[in-house]
Amino acid sequence: MQPIEFSHYSDPLDLLRRFIQTPMKATYRIDGARVGVETNDCTLLPELPLDDDPTKPCALEWKLIRDADSPGLLEPPMFLTSGTLTVLAMGTACLIGFDHEARKLFGFIGTDIDALTFQEYLIPFLCRMTKDVLSGDPVGCFVSWSHDSAHV
Amino acid sequence: MLRKRYVTVRPPFVNTMSNNCHFFFAGNLYARFRARVIFVTLRFAFDRQTLPFHTDFYVAGAHCHLSTNSAGILQSVSRWRTPHLADSRSFEMEIIVDSRLDTAVKRRAYFRGNGHLVFGFLSSGSFVTYDLLRKYVRAVLSTEAARDDSFWSALLIPITIGILGATVGVVPLHCACLERNGEGLLIAGDSGVGKSTLTAALTQRGFALIGDDWTYFSKEQSTVVAHGLFSPIKLLPDAVQFFRELRELTPAISLNGELAYEVDPARFAGSTVKNISRPSRIFFLERTSGRGCDFVPRPSRSTREFFEQNAERLPDELSDAKTLRTTVIQALSTFPSWVLHTGESPQRTSEAIDHFILENKYATD
Repeated sequence: MQPIEFSHYSDPLDLLRRFIQTPMKATYRIDGARVGVETNDCTLLPELPLDDDPTKPCALEWKLIRDADSPGLLEPPMFLTSGTLTVLAMGTACLIGFDHEARKLFGFIGTDIDALTFQEYLIPFLCRMTKDVLSGDPVGCFVSWSHDSAHV
Repeated sequence: MLRKRYVTVRPPFVNTMSNNCHFFFAGNLYARFRARVIFVTLRFAFDRQTLPFHTDFYVAGAHCHLSTNSAGILQSVSRWRTPHLADSRSFEMEIIVDSRLDTAVKRRAYFRGNGHLVFGFLSSGSFVTYDLLRKYVRAVLSTEAARDDSFWSALLIPITIGILGATVGVVPLHCACLERNGEGLLIAGDSGVGKSTLTAALTQRGFALIGDDWTYFSKEQSTVVAHGLFSPIKLLPDAVQFFRELRELTPAISLNGELAYEVDPARFAGSTVKNISRPSRIFFLERTSGRGCDFVPRPSRSTREFFEQNAERLPDELSDAKTLRTTVIQALSTFPSWVLHTGESPQRTSEAIDHFILENKYATD
């Protein structure tokens, strides 16, 4: 699969890329909860059941940004967890931050990560993180993963 | 659980994975096949039990409470134990040092952010996260980075203060700050205009350096205080035409990816390096094709606009930080300011500044 053609973002006063526009929006149902997703790349919209009930507020929000300047492929995951925040880094190609209290997840996904990898590999990660936050145990799954990895 | 789950994959999926993953194939390879994916995972949990060592230090007027699992780090931050200011604000820094990161991929510093969260890789294979609302910094460092003084002074501390910025009462602005005889001056101007070469030339004339590329401002009661972080002066390769001393050095890739000399002003010019000053005048550098140096008074409004237009965009949720930055810029705009048009070398321009300050001082005396 060819890498997605994506324009480079250039704003000398926004080096952290906080202000990349994410005009594509959809609402999904994950584990019974409404999750709002916004992105700048339609291939980052999850292939999950849509929720089209506009009367209910979203329990959680994802902001997924396709970043043309995040090079490389997925690397082994590194988790940083604290009481309020979980960060998942899989190299520069995939950086995910999750504020448990604000119930906001955001991620930068490099253009070398194709749609298939994103849908089949990263989306399950994000869903698992979402479920754990919604269930009130935001770091539970990472503890078990860490224990298991010791036996690899 | 993902890492032990069997997932159905197609060839492109395999092509996109890195060599760090281990695959165990099974099934019918002529049709769809199944792969078992096992990742080696690093997990770092930040809690009080894992961080038994503590210290406090002050950087750019901000108070940092550091917790770590490494007693060796306490030595690395000892140079930052400078006197604190009355109005300083606090942030928490938690650092886990782990030898497993010594073999991590080395890459250029790389940061991304959204709202109040910022995180990224440091070039040493380390990783750091910033929570600007809760004022928390959490980092995992390789043992090599943790004990490297230059890592602290040229990377971790400047990046930390630059990112936390006004959320901890420190406003980073793109200008140089120098001082002589207790009088601070700021050198501002567009990128590439020659601020750093002029700064280097002024240090050779005996000015003490506070900051070269960035200066960090705080408000102490009603006055503006400029802070430096002991960072080196960064000179681009073409500066060698003005400074013969650079021929003995080798330029290297700097934080922003530019090839540059990073020189210690104390070694380079025998200059004093200070970490605090109270600036009283501003020079805006502009290059001209003609010879000579010309000082033109700059109106207050124009000074304010320059700093506002060159400041990092901040998200709405950091409104307090925005307000503080506006207050500091407003205070700076009341300083006497001049546009310095110069077509001369950095040395001749620094000489002109020296004379101008002397004449100006006598005129005001």
